[in-house]
Amino acid sequence: MTEVLSAPLVVEFPFTRSVGPVQSAFLTGLRERTLLGVRAADGTVLVPPVEYDPATAAELRDLVEVAPTGTVTTWAWNPGPRRGQPLDTPFAWVLVRLDGADTALLHALDAPDPDAVRTGLRVRVRWAAERTGAITDIACFEPYEGDVMVHQAPSHSGEFVGEAVTGIVAPARLDYTYSPGRAQSQYIRALSGHRTVGERCPSCRKVYVPPRGACPTCGVATAEQVEVGPRGTVTTFCIVNIKAKGLDIEVPYVYAHIALDGADLALHARIAGIPYDRVRMGLRVEPVWADSATGSRYPDHYRPTGEPDADYDTYKELV
Amino acid sequence: MAAAAHGARDVAIVAFGQSDHRRSTDELSEVELLMPVLHEVLAATGLKTGDIGFTCSGSSDYLAGRAFSFTMALDGVGAWPPISESHVEMDGAWALYEAWVKLQTGECDTALVYSYGKSSPGSVRDVLTRQLDPYYVAPLWPDSVALAALQARALIDAGDTDERALAGVATRSRTAARTNPHAQLRGSVPHGGYVVHPLRTGDCPPIGDGAAAVVLAAGERARELCGRPAWIRGIDHRIEPHSLGVRDLTDSVSTRLAAERAGAFERPVDTAELHAPFTSQEVVLRKALRLGDQVTVNPSGGALAANPVMAAGLIRLGEAAARIHRGASERALAHATSGPCLQQNLVAVLEGDPR
Repeated sequence: MTEVLSAPLVVEFPFTRSVGPVQSAFLTGLRERTLLGVRAADGTVLVPPVEYDPATAAELRDLVEVAPTGTVTTWAWNPGPRRGQPLDTPFAWVLVRLDGADTALLHALDAPDPDAVRTGLRVRVRWAAERTGAITDIACFEPYEGDVMVHQAPSHSGEFVGEAVTGIVAPARLDYTYSPGRAQSQYIRALSGHRTVGERCPSCRKVYVPPRGACPTCGVATAEQVEVGPRGTVTTFCIVNIKAKGLDIEVPYVYAHIALDGADLALHARIAGIPYDRVRMGLRVEPVWADSATGSRYPDHYRPTGEPDADYDTYKELV
Repeated sequence: MAAAAHGARDVAIVAFGQSDHRRSTDELSEVELLMPVLHEVLAATGLKTGDIGFTCSGSSDYLAGRAFSFTMALDGVGAWPPISESHVEMDGAWALYEAWVKLQTGECDTALVYSYGKSSPGSVRDVLTRQLDPYYVAPLWPDSVALAALQARALIDAGDTDERALAGVATRSRTAARTNPHAQLRGSVPHGGYVVHPLRTGDCPPIGDGAAAVVLAAGERARELCGRPAWIRGIDHRIEPHSLGVRDLTDSVSTRLAAERAGAFERPVDTAELHAPFTSQEVVLRKALRLGDQVTVNPSGGALAANPVMAAGLIRLGEAAARIHRGASERALAHATSGPCLQQNLVAVLEGDPR
């Protein structure tokens, strides 16, 4: 068993999302330290407010103002806050029914320990110092000794001084330890020795490069290793005219499918060492390995070998 | 309205296979994890890929952080010449539902359904936050254990359970898993400290990797492929609002409705395979499904013994079917869930032919 490779992988993206009119009013209200709900046809006040009734799907637009105080309807003590959560010291997750609302809002409650928390606890909003029109404008809730402010939530226009919030940017990051599995680990290890190793299907005898451990035609495991190349044939290509962000390659350049000698599946790579408009199907090429000083373990690009072009019949099955 | 009562085509689960579920499978890519399971169900029925009328899979790229991993997984099927194929970014139980619908159309007589999940490369508690409301909830990163704990507290407050009873669910599940060679947690497992109060380590499912597959067949084809087919007498799935504060977390209206529509209440079942990743969720499901003490619940150990995310629901259907195949059950209920705090639920009723 070859030692399996692994590497850290971070998937990170700032999701930019537009909001509807009810969400806009709610988020703008948070920025202005005002809590809005929406009234459904049956009179129920929903906080946080939604654009459509969760029961009937009717469009909801009847905004009301609710109090910044409320009652815990359920809770859970979180002894180990995780990245991105509202507080970085142990806290309680709570569902809070704000005074004037009929549904509950999920957030964090700042409390010293679980003994300080119970269902029915009275709490109030602690506003964030800097507010942008996001759910995190509520920093958290905190225990509150005041009376229940029972009231009929008054109507609200949803309009505030200043620009209405039209969207949110929600950063998302997930961390992984990527492991490519047995077949691809062996492939990558071989590359570090400037060798390209595929795997042969025991059924159809085709050699796959890079190998993924299975023959996609037969659906069976591949295991027999076969060294292929290093030379190969351009089976098809395209000319790239748009410079990719962060990629230090001048355009135009050629990206090609290359059938390495002995392989039954073309891989793709950049072609260099020849003017872009001279590249053609059948061109014989060889790898130029990335400078090992950079730690790279792959062919940086392929260049012409100077051999005569391959005859179309020798690679037509691989186009 | 039970589907079978309205002229639906008779469709059965005729084969089920699953991998051993393990905390990590670094040496295996997803296709390498899945392929032995596919081969197992094909071998059990004597079918080849080319014989299968429809193939449907369930998985999520977020688990392992691999874009389009389901297309790679298709390598394990052998999809040439081109096959009729579909994928859901959901638990494989919903892939099975799609395949069942396809079989109802009469376009095919057999279907292959599979799913897999590799949770080990990432942090599944955090990954699952990305399925939540992106405006009001996801920015707070409430992890899956936290949300389940809010539900557990609501149940305790309502007098539906207590921590001791929850520990009992954990013990019963992992004791049952002693006879399940694929389970990740078996036998005596320490209940541990609080992960998110009131849920302790033992109340939570193990985190791990695994895969599962079933073969469905219609009518006489099912009898040809299986000695005792597990007929799907009814199957339905229902979803509740995404906002947790709108729902009664101590009940599962969607489970009850799906069960009614699947015909689960027409006659008693002898077995129930419930997809309850947290002990407290079994309490909710037993209540919604009106399961009495005479019903054998989760003889496989359930999701508390092995919870490969995206496959654990399909495994419930497979485990229930396998008991019918081997004559250990006459009429079984299988349940799968998706989303936080049992938001979406699928119920199927399976029966064997009278003996």
